[in-house]
Amino acid sequence: MLDNLGSNLKDALRKLAGKTVIDRAAVEDLVKDLQRALLQADVNVKQVMQLSQTIKKRALDEQPPKGVTAREHVLRIVYDELVLLVGKTVEITLGKQIILMAGLQGSGKTTTTAKLARFFKRKGMRVAVICADTFRPGAYTQIKTLCDRIQVPCYGNPAEQDARKIVRDGLASLKDEVIIVDTQGRHALEDDLITEIIDLNEITRATHRWLVLDAALGQQAREQARRFHDAVNIDGVIITKMDGTAKGGGALSAVAETGSGIVFIGQGETIEDLEWFDPSSYISRLLGM
Amino acid sequence: IISEKDIHDILDELEMGLLESDVAFSVTEEILSHIKSDLSGSKRKIGTSVDSIVRSALADALLGVLGEGVDIVSYIKEHDRPVKILFTGVNGTGKTTSIAKVAKFLQNNGFSVVLGAGDTFRAGAIEQIDVHGQRLGIKVIQHQEGSDPTAVLFDTVEYARAHQIDVVLGDTAGRFHNRANLMNQLAKIRRVIKPDLIVYVDEAVAGNDAVIRAEEFSKSVGIDAVMLTKVDMDPKGGAAISIAHAVGKPLLFIGTGQAYEDVMAFNPSAVVADLLGDA
Ligand SMILES: Nc1nc2c(ncn2[C@@H]2O[C@H](COP(=O)(O)OP(=O)(O)OP(=O)(O)O)[C@@H](O)[C@H]2O)c(=O)[nH]1
Ligand SMILES: Nc1nc2c(ncn2[C@@H]2O[C@H](COP(=O)(O)OP(=O)(O)OP(=O)(O)O)[C@@H](O)[C@H]2O)c(=O)[nH]1
Ligand SMILES: [K+]
Ligand SMILES: [Mg+2]
Ligand SMILES: [Mg+2]
Repeated sequence: MLDNLGSNLKDALRKLAGKTVIDRAAVEDLVKDLQRALLQADVNVKQVMQLSQTIKKRALDEQPPKGVTAREHVLRIVYDELVLLVGKTVEITLGKQIILMAGLQGSGKTTTTAKLARFFKRKGMRVAVICADTFRPGAYTQIKTLCDRIQVPCYGNPAEQDARKIVRDGLASLKDEVIIVDTQGRHALEDDLITEIIDLNEITRATHRWLVLDAALGQQAREQARRFHDAVNIDGVIITKMDGTAKGGGALSAVAETGSGIVFIGQGETIEDLEWFDPSSYISRLLGM
Repeated sequence: IISEKDIHDILDELEMGLLESDVAFSVTEEILSHIKSDLSGSKRKIGTSVDSIVRSALADALLGVLGEGVDIVSYIKEHDRPVKILFTGVNGTGKTTSIAKVAKFLQNNGFSVVLGAGDTFRAGAIEQIDVHGQRLGIKVIQHQEGSDPTAVLFDTVEYARAHQIDVVLGDTAGRFHNRANLMNQLAKIRRVIKPDLIVYVDEAVAGNDAVIRAEEFSKSVGIDAVMLTKVDMDPKGGAAISIAHAVGKPLLFIGTGQAYEDVMAFNPSAVVADLLGDA
């Protein structure tokens, strides 16, 4: 994710190395390089402009504390601002919980549902899945097949048209500690489907509402995230398909927009390919700190 | 005479617009730097503003990138039957749904169609295309999950030959361009099936990666035409520019929703008009 950032900033940071006063030209170079890297990674254009202005202003206006070099000072400011973009740590609790999966068509919700089920199961929890996708052909077979592979019960009914009813019935019949509700894909302009997910959130009284986003998602990410957030109050983002070449910047814009954080990263098509995400160690690694 | 300074501000503004519509960063830079060097030092007619000159130069450049589109109906009429069309692309872009839409479109235009369930890998994939086939009344050739996709598609072509079917639409599993073994599998399908058209499917909401993956698919298995899906999520057609620029091939259709009817012929001038506001 953003993996071109570190190398892009290296040259500009080198120019600041060993200096005690902040050199305006070097800061301007740094901000340009940062902008370029973030735009190439699909971070929202407006957010990039905002973030780079803030970094420039702070780097030039704020006095470095005594004993702190220009390079360290600027690096600290870049770090602070990137933390806002990458979001906070989302703690995973191992208590009783219901997780509602939300996201655009084809983002990876169903695959990730199975990955999460496996994750909680391996932590010793009793896990079940509800298939609330009544729309996509083969949706039930898809999640049922994946659940069978990890021996997790999957509640669903491919003949039923009403996702609300399936979820109500599923919740009534399942007694497991962790229940993950897979939903059909939808986007911000589909009013009926946005209403549906609001209803599913109410019916389930979900503990978490996680937004599943493809790492390649571009400028639409921010607006889509805003609408999902308005609808169901997103409290975590899962970035999928990070095993390709996409940099995940769109999903980061969604994190910033929802004020949430990245919970997990999907790294492949198989059920094991899921990683928990720790924002601060990630940024430190990124900036070579 | 137009100076570089004259066009600087307007180009900055246009650059933001293109980036905000998901034209990839590299593509945006390249197109705009061409315009800058073409226009700097050129003469301006009395009564034309720099703004309108730059905008129309950009519109021309974008139209040049997008090309004309393909008329699939005449393509099929002009080729030997069965016309074999293979759909490829990365995971979840809309290949299978697009196949169903195109199948319906071709049926409506009087062609007979058979589908090949060439995604034997993803859970539920065979079931998915089978349901589409049932709904559309179209035969779907399928083997078991985990079987060789080349064999399925080979059988699909054989079926079309035996039953005088006009068009074969072959599905494939989504895959990433950086997975050599999966790309080799596609290359094998291509060698054995010899498709007339390889349609590369990507989605309108994709950002900068659209360029990288289109280039890689183009290099390793080839692309003859592009289908851009999920335009209903993101009406700004920046990804169309990115992909067309990367592979230099025409767009076949755009997908505008999840229903069979949500498929439209590609209209380059509408895309450019959208990208440039009302220019
Ligand atoms: N390479 C890779 N592929 C993934 C990953 N996550 C999901 N996929 C693939 O992406 C495609 C779409 O995944 P699904 O889980 O069906 O997506 P979805 O969001 O449930 O789709 P809808 O229900 O149609 O909205 C499938 O081909 C998955 O195998 C990932 O982390 N890496
Ligand atoms: N909104 C919208 N959704 C679409 C469009 N085309 C496809 N979809 C949806 O996107 C999701 C993924 O579509 P698929 O056809 O399964 O994609 P795929 O490329 O075959 O996926 P894999 O085989 O898993 O790689 C499904 O939920 C489709 O209904 C479109 O034009 N607009
Ligand atoms: K776009
Ligand atoms: Mg799904
Ligand atoms: Mg498919």
